[in-house]
Amino acid sequence: QAKATAAMARLIWLCLKCIMLYSTVQAVFEDQVGKFDWRQQYVGKVRFSHFDSHVQSSKKVLVATENNVFASLNTRTGELFWRHVDKTGPEGNIDALLQHGQDAVLVVGNGRLLRSWEINIGGLNWEIVLDSGSFQSACLVGQQDTVKHVAVLKKTIISLHYLSNGHQKWIENLPESETVDYQAVYSGGNGEVYALGVVPHSHIAIVAYSLEDGEIIKQSLGLEVTPGFQPVLVSTQPNPARPPLSEFLLQLGPEHHLLLQLNNGHIVTLRDFKPAMLVSFATTGEKTVAAVMSPKNKTACSINLFSGETGRRLLDTTLIFNLDPNGGKPEKLYVQAFLKKDDSVGYRVIVQTEDHTLTFIQQPGRVMWTREEALSDVVTMEMVDLPLTGTQAELEGEFGKKADGLMSMVLKRLSSQLILLQAWIAHLWKLFYDARKPRSQVKNDVTIENLSRDEFNLQKMMVMVTASGKLFGIDSKTGSILWRHYLNNIPSNPAFKLMVQRTTAHFPHPPQCTLLIKDKDTGLATLHVFNPIFGKKSHISPPPLPQPILQSLILPLMDQDYAKVLLLVDDQYKVSAFPSTKNVLQQLQEMASSIFFYLIDSSQGRLSGYRLRTDLSTELIWEVVVPTEVQRIVSVKGKRPNEHVHSQGRVMGDRSVLYKYLNPNLLAVVLESTDLHQERSFVGILLIDGVTGRIIHEAVQRKARGPVHVVHSENWVVYEYWSTKSRRNEFSVIELYEGMELYNSTVFSSLDRPHAPQVLQQSYIFPSSISTMEATLTEKGITSRHLLIGLPSGGILSLPKMFLDPRRPEIVTEQSRCVLLSGLVVAYGLDIYQTRVYPSKQFDVLKDDYDYMLISSVLLALFFATMISKRLAEVKLLNRAWR
Amino acid sequence: MLHRERIPLLWFFFQAVVVVAWCFTDMETGPGAGVSTQPNGDRFKIEGRAIVPGLKTQDWVSTARILVEGEEYVGFLRTDGSFAVNDVPSGSYVVEIVTPAHRFEPVRVDITSKGKMRARLVNYIKTSEVIRQPYPLQVRANGPHTYFMKRETWGWTDFLMNPMVMMMVLPLLIIVLLPKVVNTNDPEMRKEMEQSMNMLNPNPELPDVSELMTKLFSGSKGSSKAGSSSSKGTRPAVKRR
Repeated sequence: QAKATAAMARLIWLCLKCIMLYSTVQAVFEDQVGKFDWRQQYVGKVRFSHFDSHVQSSKKVLVATENNVFASLNTRTGELFWRHVDKTGPEGNIDALLQHGQDAVLVVGNGRLLRSWEINIGGLNWEIVLDSGSFQSACLVGQQDTVKHVAVLKKTIISLHYLSNGHQKWIENLPESETVDYQAVYSGGNGEVYALGVVPHSHIAIVAYSLEDGEIIKQSLGLEVTPGFQPVLVSTQPNPARPPLSEFLLQLGPEHHLLLQLNNGHIVTLRDFKPAMLVSFATTGEKTVAAVMSPKNKTACSINLFSGETGRRLLDTTLIFNLDPNGGKPEKLYVQAFLKKDDSVGYRVIVQTEDHTLTFIQQPGRVMWTREEALSDVVTMEMVDLPLTGTQAELEGEFGKKADGLMSMVLKRLSSQLILLQAWIAHLWKLFYDARKPRSQVKNDVTIENLSRDEFNLQKMMVMVTASGKLFGIDSKTGSILWRHYLNNIPSNPAFKLMVQRTTAHFPHPPQCTLLIKDKDTGLATLHVFNPIFGKKSHISPPPLPQPILQSLILPLMDQDYAKVLLLVDDQYKVSAFPSTKNVLQQLQEMASSIFFYLIDSSQGRLSGYRLRTDLSTELIWEVVVPTEVQRIVSVKGKRPNEHVHSQGRVMGDRSVLYKYLNPNLLAVVLESTDLHQERSFVGILLIDGVTGRIIHEAVQRKARGPVHVVHSENWVVYEYWSTKSRRNEFSVIELYEGMELYNSTVFSSLDRPHAPQVLQQSYIFPSSISTMEATLTEKGITSRHLLIGLPSGGILSLPKMFLDPRRPEIVTEQSRCVLLSGLVVAYGLDIYQTRVYPSKQFDVLKDDYDYMLISSVLLALFFATMISKRLAEVKLLNRAWR
Repeated sequence: MLHRERIPLLWFFFQAVVVVAWCFTDMETGPGAGVSTQPNGDRFKIEGRAIVPGLKTQDWVSTARILVEGEEYVGFLRTDGSFAVNDVPSGSYVVEIVTPAHRFEPVRVDITSKGKMRARLVNYIKTSEVIRQPYPLQVRANGPHTYFMKRETWGWTDFLMNPMVMMMVLPLLIIVLLPKVVNTNDPEMRKEMEQSMNMLNPNPELPDVSELMTKLFSGSKGSSKAGSSSSKGTRPAVKRR
């Protein structure tokens, strides 16, 4: 199937040097940092957390997260001291976190690496490669009150390493590792290391190793285990060099815990906690306490401390944790205990809830900070215009209405000017009023109440959907979270699609967003309809979706309430509409013959196009099958529906126009070879018309492999791949042109385009790998386009599309534009970064750093110069007259 | 103001020229050299040290990462600035040290299947070219990243070199200096000037329009006044009307 590349494709290798690019990026000036941009740093869902306790006054908490991040947080503010991001995927997974003094030991990548970090400066002490085998457990090993070793237990082996340099002291095979499932390792500080294993349905095995040489001292088999017995045990060992405490916590039910004490072989119940959602131990000095969280009422939980030795409740230790109605239930409890001056125990807690939020609370319930770690994994987002205020709506309304007489127009204009004057005076009054107050009291917070559109509509509401199922509304100007909403019925493997059904432009109808939540395993989907400005769930009840959903598409059709119509295609190829009023169904029937959609089945390599029938059933009209044994479909990119193309063509040197091939239905299908051998691997791209299934263009890059990043916009497709031959990243750009004449200049129809477009293609070298790529998009499409490239180093590079122009050797033209617009860029990943870009610079607005001083001083100087020269001229004339 | 806008444009043209020049000089690509990546086999480690001149290591190591071939393998810096990326199979890799504040040149490291290491300069155009670098790697930061545009400062030279100012200064010089250089009282000179003025006027017989107009308008008034005034004072003023 892989055919030769197009005839016009020429390869001109060109190195786009980074240094050169940096200078052309639309950078801001250094003193403008933070004016238009903001950044929020996250770490992800916390898996392990340790309060740094080796210094009494320490304000560090170490966290290791599911996003392969190891970080140190400031407990006073919740900000990051430092953060290290490991490789994504299972190879960078953090399996265990141990802390001793200034060192933190991490096991990474299912027991692949053992790392030790210096936690004060955030540098590495050492890193060693462990023997292969799947990781089970790790612990610190101490002897005679000093901790010098760390033990790592794997499926079949146990090894001991020095804490100072990571060198391996000894490694031993575990006995009978085929039958015994070794799960835990611990040491009591007595020169022995114990490995605990369970023989399923039989008994628990304990093997004791000598700390010195790894010899097996004894092997004991004890405790019969009945099948299905899976207790959750929480024990604590304040000092690794000493035996663990004899008290431990046992979970019996979801809200039932017991504090037990092991006393000479007898187990004594010290206290029964019921109901108790979460329990945790904490130690300070010589005292160990158990913190227990129990529900207080519907909106709050209380946390109490109990003495570890006796189970007695400590006085004045109650802490109230208020549950966020838009958040999740508490999931984990991390306790930092400290000794007060009067030798009693005080504490602070970090509560982790289901929505990945961390809340740091001090007694008696003061929230010091919260971190919305759900935002570390944003899946999709939309920008929604803010609503107009009453005054703005009034002003806008003046232009929208039909003219009704000269006098009334004049009156209207005067009244709106009056309103503006009034608003301006009010603003001045507020400034004057605020100026008298001390600066700290002046609040400039954005709240939901005072949200309104700014002059250039640059402030927007960013609706973010996170993988945890928590939705956020974020002000794009400041980055502050204006609303949050946790959806608690999210499937374990979800896919999200966010659609704006109604914008803020249709007052008094509220704006409306619809989130399609699909379970990737079953294909079943649900809809969540909400107001994007306030985050509130809409009173409109979405239709139940009993069948798995294959495809969803938003149509430009609107119902009588100005809500765009969402079509859902189920696995029976039946189509349902939302909203599905009579009006909508009627419109659909009229439009049905011109509604097409496509489905991708990447497992079978099939792309198929369907047409809607008037009875809302569908009809297969084309099908393209890619042989899955040779290549697979990696991604399919259409064009953005809200894209505008301003210029239809390009003016050539001889004043003729080369018209762009602007097919809104064009799909770019990226194919990768299944054979990954570097000589035979290839990357292919297919340009298919989504309506007719016609293949417009095919291109193949030999000796290339993915990951392929594609941007598809206007009449061009840019894709990036790895060239195995030259071992470098390369960009390839395809541009499509209709030629010197337009076939039908009024409307584009895929069904009536007899001529195939001209295809130009070129490739370029890019001196770095790429993690993500996108093109800038402005409202009317009149700015020159830039490619925004996310680099693995964390930088974002703005590359003018002009650099990637297959026609470049012939012409170097700079088209100047008169009206220029600016756009917002939001980069999300682990962090969220928002800034403005000016793809064609901001010519239409005075810069914020406009030098008023210079211009006014020049004007004044000129004024005085004229005055003086006038005087001088008069004197001269007079003198001449005397002569 | 005009000058400000011109600099980026000039810069752009300069770059375009550079880019085009590159197009034509670097057409050929070298054959793929080095060692290919083998899926299974021994694992090696890439070692080196990163130095930021004038900074203590603890001030910057917490923000740095070592990226081998994008994010294929990731390493971190030790507290003394040295690093080792473990668990790397044989092959040819671009090793980069990334920090938000400092810029380091990437290095290509080739590892043979026997574990022999060599470091060389990264050259994406001639991929087979070998310019040896020390191994274990010694990478020095070559300055901070330039994220920001430099603010243009206002200086006298900027003002004076502005084309508009230049255009104004030259005529001014001519106006002020020329009468001083040329002696207008010299009758020979005056004759010569008159001659050149006549040269400029293509047809001396044709009456001057302005003169005609002055005569027409001033003719109705006293002719004695008109004679003296039209010859000198008002003539240029009327001409302008």
